[in-house]
Amino acid sequence: MPVTLLVLIPLLPLIGFLINGIGFRHIPKGAVGLIGSLAALGSFAASVAVLLAFKEGGSQPMIVSLFDWIKVGELNIPFSFQVDQLSLLMLMIITGVGSLIHIYSIGYMKHDPGFGKFFSFLNLFLFFMLLLVLGSNYVIMFIGWEGVGLCSYLLIGFWNKNTDFNNAARKAFIMNRIGDLGFLLGIFTIIHAFGSVEYTEVFRQATGLPVGDHVVFAITMLLFVGAMGKSAQIPLYTWLPDAMAGPTPVSALIHAATMVTAGIYMVIRSNVLYTLAPETLEIVAVVGAVTAIFAASIGLLQNDIKKVLAYSTVSQLGYMFLGLGVMAYSASMFHVITHAFFKALLFLGAGSVIHAMSDEQDIRFMGGLRKKLPITFITFAVATWAIAGLPPFAGFFSKDEILAHAFEHNKLLWGIGVLGSALTSFYMFRLLFLTFFGSFRGTHEQEHHLHESPAAMTIPLVILALLSAVGGFIGVPEALGGTHQLAEFMSPLFDTARQVNPEAFAATALTHSEEWILMAVSVAVALIAAVIAYVMYISRSAVPAPESEARTGVENVVYHKYYIDELYDTVFVKPMKSLSGVLSSFGEFVIDLFVEGTGKLVKGLSNLGRQTQTGSIGYYVFAMVVGIVVILFWNLLLN
Amino acid sequence: MNTNYLPSGFLPIVVQFVLALGFIVVTMIVTHNIGPSRKGKVKDDPFECGIEVVGDARTPISVKYFLVAILFVLFDVEVIFMYPWAVNFKKLGMFGFVEMVLFMSLLLAGFYYIIRKGVLKWEE
Amino acid sequence: MYPIILLSFLGIVVLFLGFAKSKAILLPATLLFLAVALVGNFVEWNQGTIIYFYNMLAVNNLTLAFNGIVLVSAFMIVAMTRGFQDDDEAQPAEYYAIMLFSLVGAFMMIGFENLIMLFLGLEILSVAMYVLTGSDKRNLRSNEAALKYFLMGAFATGILLFGIALLYGATGSFTLTGIQAYIGQGNPSYLLYGGLLLVLIGMLFKVSAAPFHFWTPDVYEGAPTIFTAFMATIVKTAGFAALFRLLSHSFTGIYDYWWITLAVITVLTLLVGNIIAVYQDSFKRMLAYSSISHAGYLLIALTAMTPQTENSILFYSMAYSVATICAFGVLIPLAREKAMTGKPRETYEAFNGLARNNPLLAFVLTVSMLSLAGIPLTAGFWGKFFVFGSAAERGIIWLLVVAILMSAVGIYYYFRVIMAAYMKEGDTAEIRVAPFYKIVLVTATIITLLFGIAPGLFTGLV
Repeated sequence: MPVTLLVLIPLLPLIGFLINGIGFRHIPKGAVGLIGSLAALGSFAASVAVLLAFKEGGSQPMIVSLFDWIKVGELNIPFSFQVDQLSLLMLMIITGVGSLIHIYSIGYMKHDPGFGKFFSFLNLFLFFMLLLVLGSNYVIMFIGWEGVGLCSYLLIGFWNKNTDFNNAARKAFIMNRIGDLGFLLGIFTIIHAFGSVEYTEVFRQATGLPVGDHVVFAITMLLFVGAMGKSAQIPLYTWLPDAMAGPTPVSALIHAATMVTAGIYMVIRSNVLYTLAPETLEIVAVVGAVTAIFAASIGLLQNDIKKVLAYSTVSQLGYMFLGLGVMAYSASMFHVITHAFFKALLFLGAGSVIHAMSDEQDIRFMGGLRKKLPITFITFAVATWAIAGLPPFAGFFSKDEILAHAFEHNKLLWGIGVLGSALTSFYMFRLLFLTFFGSFRGTHEQEHHLHESPAAMTIPLVILALLSAVGGFIGVPEALGGTHQLAEFMSPLFDTARQVNPEAFAATALTHSEEWILMAVSVAVALIAAVIAYVMYISRSAVPAPESEARTGVENVVYHKYYIDELYDTVFVKPMKSLSGVLSSFGEFVIDLFVEGTGKLVKGLSNLGRQTQTGSIGYYVFAMVVGIVVILFWNLLLN
Repeated sequence: MNTNYLPSGFLPIVVQFVLALGFIVVTMIVTHNIGPSRKGKVKDDPFECGIEVVGDARTPISVKYFLVAILFVLFDVEVIFMYPWAVNFKKLGMFGFVEMVLFMSLLLAGFYYIIRKGVLKWEE
Repeated sequence: MYPIILLSFLGIVVLFLGFAKSKAILLPATLLFLAVALVGNFVEWNQGTIIYFYNMLAVNNLTLAFNGIVLVSAFMIVAMTRGFQDDDEAQPAEYYAIMLFSLVGAFMMIGFENLIMLFLGLEILSVAMYVLTGSDKRNLRSNEAALKYFLMGAFATGILLFGIALLYGATGSFTLTGIQAYIGQGNPSYLLYGGLLLVLIGMLFKVSAAPFHFWTPDVYEGAPTIFTAFMATIVKTAGFAALFRLLSHSFTGIYDYWWITLAVITVLTLLVGNIIAVYQDSFKRMLAYSSISHAGYLLIALTAMTPQTENSILFYSMAYSVATICAFGVLIPLAREKAMTGKPRETYEAFNGLARNNPLLAFVLTVSMLSLAGIPLTAGFWGKFFVFGSAAERGIIWLLVVAILMSAVGIYYYFRVIMAAYMKEGDTAEIRVAPFYKIVLVTATIITLLFGIAPGLFTGLV
């Protein structure tokens, strides 16, 4: 495999960053977009080439050592890249979706004065993300991990004139730091336990340990804390909805398709360790499932188009962790891939809507956009269909695979998953209907200004829509008469894990008919939810409060005609809404209380501590003497 | 000679210490309370042969005094090194001589420095 | 060994150069002398351990590397002084000479083999610092700082000396090997423990570890910024080199005895430094607390005392010194500029809009803050990584947890500076910086980034 090609993958975005960063304000806008996008596209081309070479070379995982990095005592950390099925898949997502989003940004950010800065940050993000997935040890992963966090911070606060946005950026950064704390501790525990940070070496040593080893439990838990922060799981998820303050392409790239899936990547990468720690997996599954339903229920009530998508992302990430928790590693990866397609598409579609609506993000002021933005509408509808888990689009296959594994593992988790799936379908269709159907509810100026986005924005939409539609066919389950190409491709990754815990990887015990039933159930549930949304928001033309009070006579008739709606309303929707309200207000309140309380505590302590600094020498000397006396007393008399 | 001391062996010293301290404290308290004392503004004034008190006792003194004093100590103390050298002059031989020349030249450099800096000019 | 002799002599030369008509020659001469000393330092590179003056001083690659860090830091700081030409009260020749002399003290501390040398070196360094702290004679705060530093420093020195006396009383030796041999015999007397504790306390005062840190914020704030930079980097590096030498050469035999004390002090230092820094408005005071917190991180490596410790401390000192010099280096021209317009000089607000006025300074500041905060791809990250790694190796996980938590707190106050520079609006007046000054700052930034990307270059040296 050509090493140069491999090095080019992260190097091109770095070069793009340097050119655009140093030449900021000096390079013309056209060139900036071209350089930034070419860097991403070149990286994508190199990734494809590497993938082809990998397949040609018999799919043998390999480690390409670039140079000796650090050698401290026994610990030797080389700077090397690992090319295997996992890193290749991540490469394809990052560079592929990344390129599309770069191209999209040329149109979306055209009028922004910080155009060059934006592209340089975006390229820098790609660089760190590629480092994260390419590195062959935990230290490189950590550097990429911190780097993407930094870029995310810079990009969330990109429109830094607004203090709220700055606070959102800082919140994201600090919450991520809490996660990183766990990650870092995990790395040091790994060093302590295995004396190495190289994946191959760590996993080789780990195979000698028994299932349920305490050290491995600690390591996996600590790593999972890191994953919780980065992938926005309860309780470290509140930064992600706030992070929507950043420009929409950023939300699509960082907060939907790539960075937030880093936690899933990490767990899959460490699958040997996780397989050795069933207790951790149990926790991962529960956290994932709870996050999935919790975030989905909050999504029901949101009126900001990007907020809905943000909660949806949190919820989908929850599904991925649920999949990891039930050891459906390749299913989770499958969902990472399909989610990257349809969630990026949703965000970009939302961006297109916001662009057309002159920066309006509230869906209560939209409506009827399908005529004015046909391409955006069609692609958005495809993505909605996909995320709702309806066949034959991508989301159906990946979500069903996770749910099938969850069913095998624990019926309750499956139930939660299915319920979450219903909620997902409901809020996504609600979003679709409120935005694109009905009549326009914005101002006249906005209505006048409505237009379909330029080609630079719609072409990525179309490509992503195609991928969302057919992307699922890489993993058609056997029960539907297909072959699961993805699972076969990824299978070598889990050889070591299979070796340490063979029964965990036993072939599925479900019969085909059982699988069909499971699929039917989740599809039916999603369909019903979609129909409810249809009834509520199209037939009834309900618009979330406060507009709902001002119904016309016609609507009132419609309202009464569908008497059954009220039944739905009282039986299903109202309790759900109130639950959602309670969860979003109380749940987030508790979490914010915890997180911000920590901040307040530190500040309070700081203020207290500050007062010890009186400025009087006598006091200082006294404090010193007390210190000395305590030290001497403690050591000489008590010891 | 007995070199093994037990803590109890120090008891007489402790007793002595306590007694000495006790005596001082008791005397001070007793004298303070027994003697008659009268307080007043005039009574608390410092007595200077009938002349009224003027100004503060802590008047600033020119820093030159301190400078000269400290320089005197510096050079005076450094000259002390000459004595052991003189006593061991033969024994130290050439090595001692070179070292001493080095030392003296450093000292002289310092001396030259303070002269150039004008530290010894009294009239400025 | 050579830099000690060279700088003692060249310091006197600088003193006499001050009598020349033009003061302009002082700065280049001092820089030249420092360069000469740097060359002289590495003459003895890779020659194994050499013992000088009847067991007074030792020279080996580690001490030479520490000397190198001190010399390079001094070079950068001196290069940023601009010759004190805009101040009539200033005595540039004396300042430079004192700085050179103080370096001699630092070298003695780094390579001491005999406790007397430690004391001597510490005093040479400290007395020089007392003077430099008060060098802004017309400034009340500077005077107050000098007096505070002197009084408390004298107190600490007394304790150190007492400790040395007790050690001598217990072991009958001043040398590190002598003390080690005594401990090796087993069953050491109580005097030894007392002596060790007192010496530790004296040294911990110098590196501003809690609860002996109280002087730090006041002194750092009061001293002229350039000398604050000197204090924050050189005194700290030399102090930790000396502490490491003392503990690793003599007291590893009773590690079980002192590590808990040191660990508790470490935790206290980390807490005090990081938490109080959050509330500061003055950048200089924040850096003072940051310096306390970095003392805490360095203490982690000492507490762990693994074979990696020497490398960790060396790397950390380097990363910290370079980043701190950058931070103060940006503050100096900025504060001068703001002082002319009567704006707040040393608060965070002084940095508002820096990115627009002078992108280079803003960039240098950002890199230095990132390095101090320990963000990857800066040298500071690897410093922390090595230090934490040594604690992990020793298995003191609870200390590690505190340290990592506190490093997360650190992000908050370091990022405030970056946010002020990039995200807040400020005056539009351009800040002028001399070309030479720029070169120093850029070099320091490059060092930070270079060793951040390839730390192996540095760790491979020693």
